[in-house]
Amino acid sequence: MDPYKVLGVTPQTSDDDVKRAYRELARKYHPDNYINNPLADLAEARMKEINEAYDMIMNERAGKSSSGASGGQQYGGQQQYGGSQQQRAYSGANASLYSQVRQAINQGNLGMAEALLQRANGRDAEWFYLMGTVYYRKGWYDEAARAYTQACQMDPSNMEYRTALNNLNMSGGYGGYRPMQEANLCDFCVQLAVCNCCLNACCNAGC
Amino acid sequence: MFGFIRPVKPELRVKEADRFQQIYCGLCHAIRARYGRFYTLFLSYDMTFFALVVGCGEEDTAPPCRKRCDAHPLTRRPCAQTDAALELAADVSVLLTYHKFRDSLADEKGPKRALAWLLCHLGRRGYERARARLPEADGEMVQALDDLQQLERAGCDSMDRAADASARLTAAAVPHTGDARERVLRQMFYHIGRWIYLLDAAQDVAEDMEQDNYNPVVLRYGLRTPDLTEIKQPLERTLERSLADICMAYDLLDMGRDADLIRNIIFLGMPLVTKQVLDGTYQTNGGWGKHGSL
Repeated sequence: MDPYKVLGVTPQTSDDDVKRAYRELARKYHPDNYINNPLADLAEARMKEINEAYDMIMNERAGKSSSGASGGQQYGGQQQYGGSQQQRAYSGANASLYSQVRQAINQGNLGMAEALLQRANGRDAEWFYLMGTVYYRKGWYDEAARAYTQACQMDPSNMEYRTALNNLNMSGGYGGYRPMQEANLCDFCVQLAVCNCCLNACCNAGC
Repeated sequence: MFGFIRPVKPELRVKEADRFQQIYCGLCHAIRARYGRFYTLFLSYDMTFFALVVGCGEEDTAPPCRKRCDAHPLTRRPCAQTDAALELAADVSVLLTYHKFRDSLADEKGPKRALAWLLCHLGRRGYERARARLPEADGEMVQALDDLQQLERAGCDSMDRAADASARLTAAAVPHTGDARERVLRQMFYHIGRWIYLLDAAQDVAEDMEQDNYNPVVLRYGLRTPDLTEIKQPLERTLERSLADICMAYDLLDMGRDADLIRNIIFLGMPLVTKQVLDGTYQTNGGWGKHGSL
């Protein structure tokens, strides 16, 4: 592995710029962006590669200049996935079924999770939450939002449901893409320009 | 299939705009060489994008060759040399175009139906040849289209369920290589298919309501008027999620060539078209007057 190629820099790049390139990549491939994404394992592997490349470059440079520049803090390396592991203690009618569903979701076996949910007795908030998570993983975002909203309405005090719904609406966590924001920014500029015109007109009339 | 996928030209570098046109022309020539003139009439920017993406793993770009064609009989236009990616894109174009005809034949009424029947008839031979080359992909597409037609007949009111069938149809275009690249491309084209289907449904709301056709957006939100303002926000949100998934798949793709051009289409072109369709300002381009130019 060529650590410079991984970070997209050259041996001549300054330490600060290497750090900047590293931060940029770490932000992009951070596990938080890939919660419930079927490609999460690939992003994790990429993240590991980036961390290793950064360490190699920094250690090599530290050895050369003996200035003691160490690897610095790392992003996302050994971190546990935030809400992606589905675990919870259950009681009630569907207790064992729900634990099985969570297990199936964790193993990525969405077909089984869905089949199990169809067998549940009655549909409570937890049922809608788990169904929402199955939809989320499949990329059925409208159904996921409906199910999560239902779960939140049935049990408004549950933080797990609320976080899941927020996550869905936020397009992933920190650093997640909001592709439409860029396109809508132009809208905002236009609005500002229009406001400006109105203001000018008013002021001119007043003067 | 619908021409929603296109670059934002003012943001392209000149060499990237040239490259896009060369791939477009190269794909047209590849289709003509393999399947004859008929299928070149249905060439789209969507398939040009597909050709770019399936070829982007290669390191080298062969220099363009110059060829004459029906649309430009007097000048030799630069076009990309036929390589494995263009051949695959040509085969997939034929499959998708033919299935589109079949879908129209099932959906439409009156003169449009007669036209669809004619196109199916004329395209049959080319389709058989493409199917022989990509039997597995065609099997998946046939299955997905059957599912879609069943859902449409049943009046399915879940946007995601209907979009899933359409998305599987597009994802089937990605060849089975059994590696990480296949997974990334399948995820990318699944969400491109989902995005196209839902955006197309949003675009057709007025027409479908008038003609009483199946439209998942109308059914999902229980629309009574063709006005999209009420549902614009939730619709945009769900489309944006698919766009974000496409962006993230792009980030995980090993790029050898055309990275900036593909980036322009995914990060700028697709969000812009989404916005235009939801605002009602979307204009199709292409057509005879603007053949092959952006």
